[in-house]
Amino acid sequence: MSAPALDASPDIHVRGLRKIYRQKGSGAAVVAIARLDFSIRRGEIVAIVGKTGCGKSTFFNILIGLEPPTDGLIDIGGLTPYGDFDRFRGHIGIIFQQDRLLPWRSLMDNVTLGLEIMGLDPGEQRARAERWLHRLGLDGFLRAFPNELSGGMRQRAALARAFAVNPEILLADEAFGHLDEVTARQIRGQFFDMVRDEGKTAILVTHQLEEAIDTADRLLVFGKPATVLADLRLRAWPPGELPSLRARIQSTIQNNEPDPELGRPQEISR
Amino acid sequence: MSSEAVEAVDVAHAGRWPKETIVSLAAFVVLWQLASMVLPPFVAPSWARIGKSLADIATRPEFIAITVARVGVALVVSFLLGIAVAMAMYRWDAVERYLMPLVKLLMAVPVLCWILFAVLWFKFREVRIAFILVVVCAPIFVIDVLDGMRGVSKDLRDMVRALRPTARQFFWKLVLPGTVPAILTSWKVNLSLSIRVVTMAELVGATSGIGYALMQANETFSVADVFAWTVVLVLILMAAQIAVTWVERRLLVWRE
Repeated sequence: MSAPALDASPDIHVRGLRKIYRQKGSGAAVVAIARLDFSIRRGEIVAIVGKTGCGKSTFFNILIGLEPPTDGLIDIGGLTPYGDFDRFRGHIGIIFQQDRLLPWRSLMDNVTLGLEIMGLDPGEQRARAERWLHRLGLDGFLRAFPNELSGGMRQRAALARAFAVNPEILLADEAFGHLDEVTARQIRGQFFDMVRDEGKTAILVTHQLEEAIDTADRLLVFGKPATVLADLRLRAWPPGELPSLRARIQSTIQNNEPDPELGRPQEISR
Repeated sequence: MSSEAVEAVDVAHAGRWPKETIVSLAAFVVLWQLASMVLPPFVAPSWARIGKSLADIATRPEFIAITVARVGVALVVSFLLGIAVAMAMYRWDAVERYLMPLVKLLMAVPVLCWILFAVLWFKFREVRIAFILVVVCAPIFVIDVLDGMRGVSKDLRDMVRALRPTARQFFWKLVLPGTVPAILTSWKVNLSLSIRVVTMAELVGATSGIGYALMQANETFSVADVFAWTVVLVLILMAAQIAVTWVERRLLVWRE
Protein backbone atom coordinates (compact mmCIF):
# COMPACT_ATOMS: atom_id res chain seq x y z
CA MET A 1 0.00 0.00 0.00
CA SER A 2 1.48 3.37 -0.92
CA ALA A 3 1.65 6.13 1.66
CA PRO A 4 -0.90 8.92 1.34
CA ALA A 5 0.19 12.13 -0.35
CA LEU A 6 1.15 14.94 2.02
CA ASP A 7 -1.34 17.37 0.59
CA ALA A 8 -3.08 18.87 3.60
CA SER A 9 -1.54 20.39 6.73
CA PRO A 10 -0.98 17.26 8.77
CA ASP A 11 -0.56 16.71 12.47
CA ILE A 12 2.87 15.68 13.66
CA HIS A 13 3.12 12.62 15.91
CA VAL A 14 6.33 11.78 17.75
CA ARG A 15 6.12 8.22 19.09
CA GLY A 16 8.69 6.42 21.24
CA LEU A 17 11.50 8.39 19.61
CA ARG A 18 15.01 7.48 20.75
CA LYS A 19 18.42 8.34 19.39
CA ILE A 20 21.66 6.75 20.52
CA TYR A 21 25.00 7.66 18.95
CA ARG A 22 28.25 5.75 18.93
CA GLN A 23 31.17 8.00 19.75
CA LYS A 24 33.64 7.97 16.90
CA GLY A 25 36.78 7.39 18.95
CA SER A 26 35.74 5.13 21.84
CA GLY A 27 32.62 3.60 20.30
CA ALA A 28 30.78 4.34 23.56
CA ALA A 29 27.00 4.77 23.32
CA VAL A 30 25.70 8.31 23.90
CA VAL A 31 21.97 8.77 24.48
CA ALA A 32 20.93 11.99 22.70
CA ILE A 33 17.17 11.36 22.90
CA ALA A 34 15.97 9.23 25.84
CA ARG A 35 12.35 9.04 24.72
CA LEU A 36 9.94 11.49 23.16
CA ASP A 37 6.17 11.05 22.84
CA PHE A 38 4.00 13.99 21.88
CA SER A 39 1.86 15.35 19.08
CA ILE A 40 1.57 18.74 17.43
CA ARG A 41 -1.67 19.81 15.84
CA ARG A 42 -1.81 21.56 12.50
CA GLY A 43 -1.51 25.32 12.86
CA GLU A 44 0.17 25.14 16.26
CA ILE A 45 3.25 27.22 16.99
CA VAL A 46 5.45 25.19 19.30
CA ALA A 47 8.73 26.17 20.92
CA ILE A 48 11.14 23.56 22.22
CA VAL A 49 13.53 24.67 24.96
CA GLY A 50 16.20 22.86 26.93
CA LYS A 51 19.80 22.96 28.04
CA THR A 52 22.56 23.22 25.47
CA GLY A 53 23.40 19.71 24.29
CA CYS A 54 20.10 18.23 25.45
CA GLY A 55 19.32 16.70 22.05
CA LYS A 56 17.19 19.53 20.61
CA SER A 57 19.25 19.75 17.46
CA THR A 58 19.32 15.96 17.12
CA PHE A 59 15.54 15.99 17.31
CA PHE A 60 15.51 18.79 14.73
CA ASN A 61 17.71 16.76 12.35
CA ILE A 62 15.42 13.73 12.70
CA LEU A 63 12.39 15.96 12.21
CA ILE A 64 13.74 17.36 8.92
CA GLY A 65 14.77 13.87 7.81
CA LEU A 66 18.55 14.27 7.79
CA GLU A 67 19.01 11.51 10.40
CA PRO A 68 17.07 8.35 11.22
CA PRO A 69 15.95 7.69 14.80
CA THR A 70 17.35 4.66 16.64
CA ASP A 71 13.82 3.66 17.74
CA GLY A 72 10.33 5.05 17.34
CA LEU A 73 9.19 7.39 14.62
CA ILE A 74 7.98 10.80 13.61
CA ASP A 75 4.74 10.46 11.69
CA ILE A 76 3.63 13.40 9.56
CA GLY A 77 0.47 12.65 7.62
CA GLY A 78 1.32 8.94 7.52
CA LEU A 79 4.87 9.55 6.27
CA THR A 80 8.22 9.62 8.07
CA PRO A 81 10.66 12.42 7.21
CA TYR A 82 13.66 10.08 6.88
CA GLY A 83 12.00 7.03 5.30
CA ASP A 84 9.85 9.04 2.89
CA PHE A 85 12.47 11.72 2.39
CA ASP A 86 11.57 12.83 -1.13
CA ARG A 87 7.83 12.93 -0.41
CA PHE A 88 8.41 15.97 1.80
CA ARG A 89 9.82 18.08 -1.07
CA GLY A 90 8.03 21.41 -0.86
CA HIS A 91 6.20 20.50 2.36
CA ILE A 92 8.74 21.52 4.98
CA GLY A 93 10.40 24.93 5.22
CA ILE A 94 13.53 25.13 7.31
CA ILE A 95 15.34 28.05 8.89
CA PHE A 96 18.73 27.19 10.31
CA GLN A 97 20.83 28.86 12.96
CA GLN A 98 22.93 30.62 10.32
CA ASP A 99 21.33 31.85 7.11
CA ARG A 100 23.14 29.22 5.00
CA LEU A 101 22.63 31.21 1.82
CA LEU A 102 24.69 29.99 -1.14
CA PRO A 103 27.36 32.70 -1.39
CA TRP A 104 27.61 32.49 -5.20
CA ARG A 105 23.88 33.08 -5.72
CA SER A 106 22.10 36.42 -5.55
CA LEU A 107 19.31 36.83 -2.98
CA MET A 108 16.75 36.20 -5.71
CA ASP A 109 18.51 33.01 -6.82
CA ASN A 110 18.86 31.84 -3.23
CA VAL A 111 15.13 32.19 -2.72
CA THR A 112 14.32 30.36 -5.96
CA LEU A 113 16.59 27.42 -5.00
CA GLY A 114 13.82 25.35 -3.40
CA LEU A 115 11.45 26.24 -6.24
CA GLU A 116 13.99 25.10 -8.85
CA ILE A 117 14.28 21.80 -6.98
CA MET A 118 10.48 21.50 -7.03
CA GLY A 119 10.56 22.00 -10.81
CA LEU A 120 8.40 25.14 -10.95
CA ASP A 121 8.61 27.15 -14.16
CA PRO A 122 11.04 30.09 -14.06
CA GLY A 123 8.31 32.74 -14.22
CA GLU A 124 6.55 31.28 -11.19
CA GLN A 125 9.87 30.98 -9.36
CA ARG A 126 10.67 34.66 -9.89
CA ALA A 127 7.15 35.79 -8.98
CA ARG A 128 7.18 33.84 -5.71
CA ALA A 129 10.69 34.93 -4.79
CA GLU A 130 9.89 38.58 -5.50
CA ARG A 131 6.70 38.34 -3.42
CA TRP A 132 8.49 37.00 -0.35
CA LEU A 133 11.55 39.23 -0.67
CA HIS A 134 9.19 42.20 -0.95
CA ARG A 135 7.27 41.08 2.11
CA LEU A 136 10.52 40.90 4.04
CA GLY A 137 11.63 44.36 2.89
CA LEU A 138 14.41 43.19 0.57
CA ASP A 139 13.08 44.60 -2.74
CA GLY A 140 16.17 46.64 -3.43
CA PHE A 141 18.53 43.71 -2.99
CA LEU A 142 17.28 41.06 -5.40
CA ARG A 143 20.59 40.97 -7.31
CA ALA A 144 22.84 41.45 -4.26
CA PHE A 145 25.11 38.65 -3.10
CA PRO A 146 24.90 37.50 0.52
CA ASN A 147 28.31 38.92 1.48
CA GLU A 148 27.09 42.40 0.56
CA LEU A 149 24.35 42.27 3.21
CA SER A 150 24.05 42.44 6.97
CA GLY A 151 23.36 39.32 9.06
CA GLY A 152 19.77 40.44 9.60
CA MET A 153 19.13 40.90 5.89
CA ARG A 154 20.64 37.51 5.13
CA GLN A 155 18.45 35.84 7.74
CA ARG A 156 15.40 37.55 6.25
CA ALA A 157 16.38 36.14 2.86
CA ALA A 158 16.62 32.70 4.53
CA LEU A 159 13.04 33.21 5.79
CA ALA A 160 11.95 34.10 2.25
CA ARG A 161 13.62 30.92 0.96
CA ALA A 162 11.73 28.83 3.53
CA PHE A 163 8.33 30.46 2.94
CA ALA A 164 8.63 30.61 -0.86
CA VAL A 165 8.12 26.85 -1.24
CA ASN A 166 4.77 27.33 0.54
CA PRO A 167 5.36 24.51 3.04
CA GLU A 168 2.73 23.28 5.48
CA ILE A 169 5.29 23.03 8.26
CA LEU A 170 8.03 25.48 9.20
CA LEU A 171 10.94 24.39 11.35
CA ALA A 172 13.43 26.83 12.87
CA ASP A 173 16.60 25.80 14.73
CA GLU A 174 17.97 28.64 16.90
CA ALA A 175 17.12 30.81 13.92
CA PHE A 176 17.49 34.19 15.58
CA GLY A 177 20.03 33.47 18.32
CA HIS A 178 23.07 34.78 16.43
CA LEU A 179 21.55 38.20 15.71
CA ASP A 180 21.70 41.25 17.93
CA GLU A 181 18.63 41.58 20.15
CA VAL A 182 16.97 44.43 18.24
CA THR A 183 17.36 42.69 14.87
CA ALA A 184 16.39 39.31 16.33
CA ARG A 185 13.21 40.75 17.82
CA GLN A 186 12.26 42.38 14.53
CA ILE A 187 12.89 39.30 12.36
CA ARG A 188 11.31 36.96 14.90
CA GLY A 189 8.21 39.17 14.81
CA GLN A 190 8.11 39.00 11.00
CA PHE A 191 8.54 35.22 11.13
CA PHE A 192 5.64 34.62 13.52
CA ASP A 193 3.40 37.15 11.74
CA MET A 194 3.94 35.25 8.50
CA VAL A 195 3.42 31.87 10.18
CA ARG A 196 0.10 33.04 11.66
CA ASP A 197 -1.04 34.84 8.51
CA GLU A 198 -0.39 31.77 6.39
CA GLY A 199 -1.81 29.33 8.97
CA LYS A 200 1.35 27.25 9.07
CA THR A 201 2.44 24.76 11.70
CA ALA A 202 5.73 25.96 13.20
CA ILE A 203 8.27 24.35 15.48
CA LEU A 204 10.95 26.57 16.92
CA VAL A 205 13.95 25.03 18.65
CA THR A 206 15.64 27.56 20.90
CA HIS A 207 17.72 27.86 24.05
CA GLN A 208 16.19 31.28 24.75
CA LEU A 209 13.28 30.88 27.12
CA GLU A 210 12.18 34.51 26.73
CA GLU A 211 11.90 34.09 22.97
CA ALA A 212 9.90 30.89 23.40
CA ILE A 213 7.43 32.34 25.91
CA ASP A 214 7.00 35.57 23.93
CA THR A 215 6.20 33.92 20.64
CA ALA A 216 4.88 30.36 20.86
CA ASP A 217 1.42 28.98 21.59
CA ARG A 218 2.90 25.99 23.29
CA LEU A 219 6.17 25.17 25.00
CA LEU A 220 7.89 21.80 25.21
CA VAL A 221 10.59 21.67 27.87
CA PHE A 222 13.24 19.07 27.07
CA GLY A 223 15.38 17.36 29.68
CA LYS A 224 18.89 16.08 29.07
CA PRO A 225 19.06 13.59 27.35
CA ALA A 226 15.96 14.66 25.46
CA THR A 227 12.64 13.76 27.06
CA VAL A 228 9.63 16.00 27.67
CA LEU A 229 9.83 17.46 31.20
CA ALA A 230 6.83 19.75 30.69
CA ASP A 231 4.34 20.61 27.97
CA LEU A 232 2.67 23.99 28.44
CA ARG A 233 -0.19 25.74 26.68
CA LEU A 234 1.28 29.21 27.00
CA ARG A 235 -1.84 31.07 25.96
CA ALA A 236 -3.72 29.47 28.88
CA TRP A 237 -1.47 31.27 31.37
CA PRO A 238 -2.49 34.77 32.50
CA PRO A 239 0.17 37.28 31.37
CA GLY A 240 0.69 38.36 34.99
CA GLU A 241 1.90 34.89 35.94
CA LEU A 242 4.46 34.64 33.13
CA PRO A 243 7.43 35.87 35.25
CA SER A 244 6.82 33.17 37.87
CA LEU A 245 6.23 30.65 35.12
CA ARG A 246 9.57 31.58 33.58
CA ALA A 247 11.36 30.98 36.87
CA ARG A 248 9.62 27.65 37.30
CA ILE A 249 10.54 26.48 33.80
CA GLN A 250 14.14 27.50 34.44
CA SER A 251 14.25 25.45 37.61
CA THR A 252 12.64 22.49 35.78
CA ILE A 253 15.38 22.66 33.15
CA GLN A 254 18.04 23.06 35.83
CA ASN A 255 16.80 20.13 37.96
CA ASN A 256 16.21 17.99 34.89
CA GLU A 257 13.07 16.55 36.54
CA PRO A 258 9.57 16.35 34.99
CA ASP A 259 7.07 18.91 36.26
CA PRO A 260 3.61 17.46 35.52
CA GLU A 261 1.90 20.44 37.08
CA LEU A 262 3.27 22.63 34.30
CA GLY A 263 1.66 20.30 31.79
CA ARG A 264 1.93 16.66 30.68
CA PRO A 265 2.99 15.64 27.20
CA GLN A 266 -0.01 15.85 24.91
CA GLU A 267 -0.78 13.14 22.45
CA ILE A 268 -3.65 13.20 20.05
CA SER A 269 -4.96 10.22 18.22
CA ARG A 270 -4.58 10.15 14.46
CA MET B 1 46.74 51.92 8.22
CA SER B 2 46.70 55.47 6.81
CA SER B 3 44.34 56.37 3.99
CA GLU B 4 47.37 56.82 1.67
CA ALA B 5 48.51 53.29 2.53
CA VAL B 6 45.07 51.89 1.87
CA GLU B 7 45.04 53.71 -1.47
CA ALA B 8 48.45 52.27 -2.38
CA VAL B 9 47.28 48.74 -1.59
CA ASP B 10 44.16 49.33 -3.66
CA VAL B 11 46.24 50.50 -6.62
CA ALA B 12 48.40 47.38 -6.32
CA HIS B 13 45.29 45.21 -6.21
CA ALA B 14 43.89 47.02 -9.21
CA GLY B 15 46.60 45.36 -11.29
CA ARG B 16 49.32 48.02 -11.46
CA TRP B 17 52.84 47.04 -10.46
CA PRO B 18 53.97 48.30 -7.09
CA LYS B 19 57.03 50.55 -6.95
CA GLU B 20 59.27 47.81 -5.53
CA THR B 21 58.61 45.49 -8.50
CA ILE B 22 59.52 48.20 -11.00
CA VAL B 23 62.70 49.07 -9.07
CA SER B 24 63.90 45.45 -8.84
CA LEU B 25 63.16 44.75 -12.53
CA ALA B 26 64.93 47.96 -13.60
CA ALA B 27 67.94 47.02 -11.44
CA PHE B 28 68.08 43.62 -13.13
CA VAL B 29 67.96 45.20 -16.61
CA VAL B 30 70.78 47.62 -15.75
CA LEU B 31 72.98 44.94 -14.12
CA TRP B 32 72.51 42.62 -17.09
CA GLN B 33 73.50 45.39 -19.49
CA LEU B 34 76.61 46.11 -17.39
CA ALA B 35 77.45 42.39 -17.35
CA SER B 36 77.08 42.24 -21.13
CA MET B 37 79.77 44.95 -21.43
CA VAL B 38 82.41 42.94 -19.57
CA LEU B 39 81.43 39.33 -20.37
CA PRO B 40 81.55 37.60 -23.80
CA PRO B 41 78.24 37.60 -25.80
CA PHE B 42 77.74 33.82 -25.39
CA VAL B 43 77.57 34.31 -21.61
CA ALA B 44 75.63 37.58 -21.31
CA PRO B 45 74.30 39.02 -24.57
CA SER B 46 73.36 42.68 -24.56
CA TRP B 47 69.77 43.83 -24.58
CA ALA B 48 70.28 44.96 -28.17
CA ARG B 49 71.14 41.37 -29.21
CA ILE B 50 68.24 39.96 -27.21
CA GLY B 51 65.94 42.55 -28.81
CA LYS B 52 67.11 41.46 -32.25
CA SER B 53 66.34 37.83 -31.36
CA LEU B 54 62.89 38.84 -30.16
CA ALA B 55 62.31 40.69 -33.43
CA ASP B 56 63.32 37.53 -35.32
CA ILE B 57 60.88 35.48 -33.24
CA ALA B 58 58.13 37.98 -33.98
CA THR B 59 58.56 37.37 -37.72
CA ARG B 60 57.89 33.63 -37.31
CA PRO B 61 55.33 33.28 -34.53
CA GLU B 62 54.22 29.79 -35.62
CA PHE B 63 56.45 28.09 -33.02
CA ILE B 64 54.71 30.10 -30.30
CA ALA B 65 51.29 29.19 -31.71
CA ILE B 66 52.22 25.50 -31.86
CA THR B 67 53.39 25.39 -28.24
CA VAL B 68 50.36 27.36 -27.01
CA ALA B 69 48.04 25.02 -28.95
CA ARG B 70 49.73 21.94 -27.47
CA VAL B 71 49.36 23.33 -23.96
CA GLY B 72 45.78 24.43 -24.56
CA VAL B 73 44.58 21.12 -25.95
CA ALA B 74 46.42 19.09 -23.29
CA LEU B 75 45.06 21.25 -20.47
CA VAL B 76 41.47 20.95 -21.71
CA VAL B 77 41.85 17.15 -22.05
CA SER B 78 43.51 16.96 -18.59
CA PHE B 79 40.75 19.05 -17.06
CA LEU B 80 37.92 17.00 -18.58
CA LEU B 81 39.63 13.78 -17.57
CA GLY B 82 40.42 15.15 -14.10
CA ILE B 83 36.90 16.37 -13.40
CA ALA B 84 35.37 13.10 -14.68
CA VAL B 85 37.62 11.00 -12.42
CA ALA B 86 37.04 13.36 -9.47
CA MET B 87 33.26 13.14 -9.98
CA ALA B 88 33.43 9.33 -10.08
CA MET B 89 35.55 9.30 -6.91
CA TYR B 90 33.14 11.70 -5.23
CA ARG B 91 30.15 9.60 -6.21
CA TRP B 92 31.56 6.13 -5.48
CA ASP B 93 33.94 5.51 -2.58
CA ALA B 94 35.19 2.32 -4.22
CA VAL B 95 36.41 4.28 -7.24
CA GLU B 96 38.42 6.52 -4.94
CA ARG B 97 39.83 3.57 -2.99
CA TYR B 98 41.05 1.87 -6.18
CA LEU B 99 42.10 4.88 -8.24
CA MET B 100 43.58 7.28 -5.69
CA PRO B 101 46.73 5.16 -5.07
CA LEU B 102 47.33 5.15 -8.83
CA VAL B 103 46.79 8.91 -9.09
CA LYS B 104 49.30 9.46 -6.28
CA LEU B 105 51.71 7.08 -8.01
CA LEU B 106 51.45 9.10 -11.24
CA MET B 107 52.19 12.29 -9.32
CA ALA B 108 55.31 10.77 -7.76
CA VAL B 109 56.95 9.97 -11.13
CA PRO B 110 59.43 12.71 -12.23
CA VAL B 111 58.62 14.55 -15.47
CA LEU B 112 61.90 13.39 -17.01
CA CYS B 113 60.83 9.74 -16.60
CA TRP B 114 57.52 10.49 -18.36
CA ILE B 115 59.44 12.07 -21.24
CA LEU B 116 61.60 8.93 -21.57
CA PHE B 117 58.56 6.64 -21.32
CA ALA B 118 56.76 8.71 -23.97
CA VAL B 119 59.67 8.34 -26.37
CA LEU B 120 59.74 4.57 -25.73
CA TRP B 121 55.99 4.00 -25.92
CA PHE B 122 54.68 6.35 -28.63
CA LYS B 123 55.72 6.77 -32.22
CA PHE B 124 54.00 10.06 -33.06
CA ARG B 125 55.52 13.24 -31.68
CA GLU B 126 52.27 15.01 -30.94
CA VAL B 127 51.00 11.96 -29.02
CA ARG B 128 54.20 11.90 -26.98
CA ILE B 129 53.89 15.57 -26.01
CA ALA B 130 50.17 15.29 -25.27
CA PHE B 131 50.76 12.17 -23.18
CA ILE B 132 53.46 13.86 -21.10
CA LEU B 133 51.32 16.94 -20.45
CA VAL B 134 48.16 15.00 -19.62
CA VAL B 135 49.88 12.51 -17.33
CA VAL B 136 51.45 15.39 -15.39
CA CYS B 137 48.45 17.76 -15.26
CA ALA B 138 45.38 15.48 -15.00
CA PRO B 139 46.26 14.02 -11.56
CA ILE B 140 46.58 17.56 -10.17
CA PHE B 141 43.12 18.39 -11.49
CA VAL B 142 41.77 15.16 -9.93
CA ILE B 143 43.17 15.94 -6.48
CA ASP B 144 42.21 19.63 -6.50
CA VAL B 145 38.68 19.12 -7.86
CA LEU B 146 37.98 16.26 -5.45
CA ASP B 147 39.25 18.35 -2.53
CA GLY B 148 37.05 21.21 -3.70
CA MET B 149 33.97 18.98 -3.89
CA ARG B 150 34.66 17.57 -0.43
CA GLY B 151 35.30 21.07 0.88
CA VAL B 152 31.72 22.29 0.33
CA SER B 153 30.57 23.01 3.88
CA LYS B 154 28.36 20.57 5.78
CA ASP B 155 26.02 23.43 6.70
CA LEU B 156 25.33 24.17 3.04
CA ARG B 157 25.04 20.45 2.24
CA ASP B 158 22.45 19.96 5.00
CA MET B 159 20.52 23.05 3.89
CA VAL B 160 20.33 21.89 0.27
CA ARG B 161 19.62 18.26 1.22
CA ALA B 162 16.72 19.42 3.38
CA LEU B 163 15.15 20.87 0.21
CA ARG B 164 15.09 17.30 -1.16
CA PRO B 165 16.99 17.68 -4.42
CA THR B 166 17.71 14.79 -6.77
CA ALA B 167 21.34 13.65 -6.83
CA ARG B 168 21.78 15.53 -10.12
CA GLN B 169 20.30 18.74 -8.71
CA PHE B 170 22.48 18.42 -5.59
CA PHE B 171 25.58 18.20 -7.78
CA TRP B 172 24.75 20.98 -10.24
CA LYS B 173 23.23 23.43 -7.76
CA LEU B 174 25.63 22.93 -4.84
CA VAL B 175 28.70 20.76 -5.36
CA LEU B 176 29.91 22.05 -8.73
CA PRO B 177 29.42 25.78 -8.09
CA GLY B 178 30.98 25.28 -4.65
CA THR B 179 34.04 23.75 -6.33
CA VAL B 180 34.66 26.62 -8.80
CA PRO B 181 37.28 28.37 -6.59
CA ALA B 182 39.27 25.12 -6.30
CA ILE B 183 38.98 24.51 -10.05
CA LEU B 184 40.34 27.98 -10.85
CA THR B 185 43.25 27.54 -8.45
CA SER B 186 44.01 24.21 -10.09
CA TRP B 187 44.01 25.88 -13.53
CA LYS B 188 46.53 28.46 -12.31
CA VAL B 189 48.85 25.76 -10.97
CA ASN B 190 48.56 23.63 -14.10
CA LEU B 191 49.07 26.56 -16.47
CA SER B 192 52.50 27.39 -15.11
CA LEU B 193 53.38 23.70 -14.75
CA SER B 194 52.34 22.84 -18.30
CA ILE B 195 54.34 25.71 -19.86
CA ARG B 196 57.46 24.37 -18.13
CA VAL B 197 56.71 20.74 -18.96
CA VAL B 198 55.85 21.35 -22.63
CA THR B 199 59.22 23.03 -23.14
CA MET B 200 60.99 19.97 -21.76
CA ALA B 201 58.85 17.62 -23.83
CA GLU B 202 59.57 19.62 -26.98
CA LEU B 203 63.30 19.59 -26.24
CA VAL B 204 63.32 15.83 -26.67
CA GLY B 205 60.52 14.80 -28.90
CA ALA B 206 59.57 17.63 -31.25
CA THR B 207 60.60 19.32 -34.49
CA SER B 208 58.62 22.47 -33.78
CA GLY B 209 57.59 24.63 -30.86
CA ILE B 210 59.43 26.76 -28.33
CA GLY B 211 61.25 23.83 -26.70
CA TYR B 212 62.63 22.79 -30.08
CA ALA B 213 63.68 26.39 -30.81
CA LEU B 214 65.42 26.53 -27.41
CA MET B 215 67.31 23.35 -28.19
CA GLN B 216 68.43 24.75 -31.53
CA ALA B 217 69.55 27.99 -29.91
CA ASN B 218 71.50 26.02 -27.34
CA GLU B 219 73.23 23.93 -30.00
CA THR B 220 74.35 27.08 -31.83
CA PHE B 221 75.44 28.76 -28.55
CA SER B 222 73.02 31.61 -29.23
CA VAL B 223 72.42 32.80 -25.70
CA ALA B 224 70.52 35.81 -27.03
CA ASP B 225 67.99 33.45 -28.64
CA VAL B 226 67.75 31.34 -25.47
CA PHE B 227 67.11 34.48 -23.49
CA ALA B 228 64.60 35.80 -26.02
CA TRP B 229 62.63 32.52 -25.99
CA THR B 230 62.70 32.56 -22.20
CA VAL B 231 61.19 36.04 -22.27
CA VAL B 232 58.50 34.74 -24.65
CA LEU B 233 57.70 31.84 -22.28
CA VAL B 234 57.40 34.19 -19.32
CA LEU B 235 55.13 36.49 -21.33
CA ILE B 236 52.92 33.55 -22.38
CA LEU B 237 52.61 32.45 -18.77
CA MET B 238 51.80 35.99 -17.61
CA ALA B 239 49.15 36.34 -20.33
CA ALA B 240 47.62 32.99 -19.29
CA GLN B 241 47.59 34.04 -15.63
CA ILE B 242 45.93 37.34 -16.54
CA ALA B 243 43.31 35.41 -18.53
CA VAL B 244 42.57 33.10 -15.58
CA THR B 245 42.42 36.06 -13.20
CA TRP B 246 39.93 37.71 -15.57
CA VAL B 247 37.78 34.55 -15.61
CA GLU B 248 38.13 34.32 -11.82
CA ARG B 249 36.89 37.88 -11.36
CA ARG B 250 33.85 37.13 -13.49
CA LEU B 251 33.02 33.79 -11.90
CA LEU B 252 33.85 34.74 -8.32
CA VAL B 253 32.31 38.20 -8.38
CA TRP B 254 30.32 37.16 -5.29
CA ARG B 255 33.53 37.06 -3.22
CA GLU B 256 34.51 40.69 -3.82
